[in-house]
Amino acid sequence: MKLERDVYIAGVGETVFGKHKMDYDELGRIAAFQAIKSSNIDGPGMIGSAYVGNAHNGIVTGQTIFKDIGICGTAPIINVESACSAGAMAVHLAIKDVAYGLTELSMGVGAENHTLRRKSGTAFMPAMNDIEAVHGGVMTGKYAMRATRYMHETGATIEDLAMITQKSRRHAKNNPHAPYGGDYSIEDIIDSRMIAYPLTLHQCCGVVDGAGAVVVCSGEMIKKLGIEKPVKVRGSVVTSGPYHNRPRDITGDDITEMTSAMLYEESGIGPKDVDILELHDAFTIAELLYYECMGLCEKGDGLKFLRDGLSTYGGQCVVSPRGGMLSYGHPIGASGAAQMAANVKQLRGECNGYQVEPVPKVAMSHVTGGGLSGTEHAACTMHMLTSDW
Amino acid sequence: MAEKKKIKKEKEPDITFFHPDLLEIPKEGLPYLKGYKCKKCGQLDFPKLSPCPTCWSEDFDVVPLSRKGNLYSFSDLYIGQPGLETPYICGYVDLPEEIRIFAMLKGDVNTFKCDEEVELTTGPIRKNADGLPITSYMFQKV
Ligand SMILES: [Zn+2]
Repeated sequence: MKLERDVYIAGVGETVFGKHKMDYDELGRIAAFQAIKSSNIDGPGMIGSAYVGNAHNGIVTGQTIFKDIGICGTAPIINVESACSAGAMAVHLAIKDVAYGLTELSMGVGAENHTLRRKSGTAFMPAMNDIEAVHGGVMTGKYAMRATRYMHETGATIEDLAMITQKSRRHAKNNPHAPYGGDYSIEDIIDSRMIAYPLTLHQCCGVVDGAGAVVVCSGEMIKKLGIEKPVKVRGSVVTSGPYHNRPRDITGDDITEMTSAMLYEESGIGPKDVDILELHDAFTIAELLYYECMGLCEKGDGLKFLRDGLSTYGGQCVVSPRGGMLSYGHPIGASGAAQMAANVKQLRGECNGYQVEPVPKVAMSHVTGGGLSGTEHAACTMHMLTSDW
Repeated sequence: MAEKKKIKKEKEPDITFFHPDLLEIPKEGLPYLKGYKCKKCGQLDFPKLSPCPTCWSEDFDVVPLSRKGNLYSFSDLYIGQPGLETPYICGYVDLPEEIRIFAMLKGDVNTFKCDEEVELTTGPIRKNADGLPITSYMFQKV
């Protein structure tokens, strides 16, 4: 999306992720109010519009979240759904409002509670009007087939895949928002329960609840709010997945390749200049493929990039410094907004115990959405943020 | 006054054969998948897309698709959809017509390999709302 004027992030919020007794609306409200307070906003009248991403929790989710915050009746609240991409898409739409002068300040929120409603021990039930879903298709299977093919073509092993989990959970060890952080041995990871060969339990994101929120505003507003560390939105791209039932290379990802190319073009920032990256690492294999798809390294060099330590602290681009979805779990509608909240905190040097050093200046986020048959993913949302002080 | 007859509406049975647009099981001969070739631009698709996403034509010829293809990738699923018995196996099968089919594979876990030849078969893929098995296409080793 071409940004017609400068857009800044004033403040962000995120809840602790994990199994919550609080429903999505309470989680969403906590994250939203954190973002509001950290933006120095002194009253509900300043919020021009709000977008809320959610996938499974029903109708009028945004209005339910915002009723206590006092903008019901004063600002439009629009609910956004595109499976895992919903939260980031909500932020994108808030950015659009500010970029085109419709508002001076807007909010994007992602919130989801899965565990209050869902039986454990099964995969998510896909839509029965999807031909792959009728024939047993699940997201774990889709990613597992990418892993199977990747291993077939490159000779990579399950142990190689497990290194992704090991890295991300080590990153999250001191992150109080991430329930799965810690030191895991490769054996811990590959000996955990098999979910979809070759993906074991610890190579899959957990089913949890949580929320994230982002306040965006104009250049004039960011000064008025007195924000000391304004984060500039350098690019915000939403795409839909190319649809066809023809053979394609699933060790690549057409929609991620397309979306990242558009983001680099829009922001004028190339893949080698990205300091930190939160990506859609719902399964180990995804991260490995996306190094290549996003051009962090050459095609075929993903494993080398990981082994050489280029995606961890001290490396070329710290991938999943917060621990990613593999350490946070993945509340579908929430993750995209929570990734952005975590990136802003890294840019501001606020991540005590898991701060990337030197403090990063360029942060990228990436979240796909949906397993529609005939596409790799139905949607993809990416953002590029830089520190601006 | 004429007596109004109460007509009891019979409940329509839930499907037991998944979609005649997809699969033909002839009385004689082998089952085949039905491709749809656009009469205007010639694009061949499975499953049927209407209108044709390339030219928006709504006229198609039905073309039987090859019964054998290449198993591009697969996964043995130990946690599956709610209601499906596990483990089950799914895979992508590439047909010579440049069409990729997602299907369940008939066979045992730990036995399939990428790039091996598989052929079309039929079998129960899930249960319908009445608890009866739904028949559809599957692939198995040649
Ligand atoms: Zn056509």
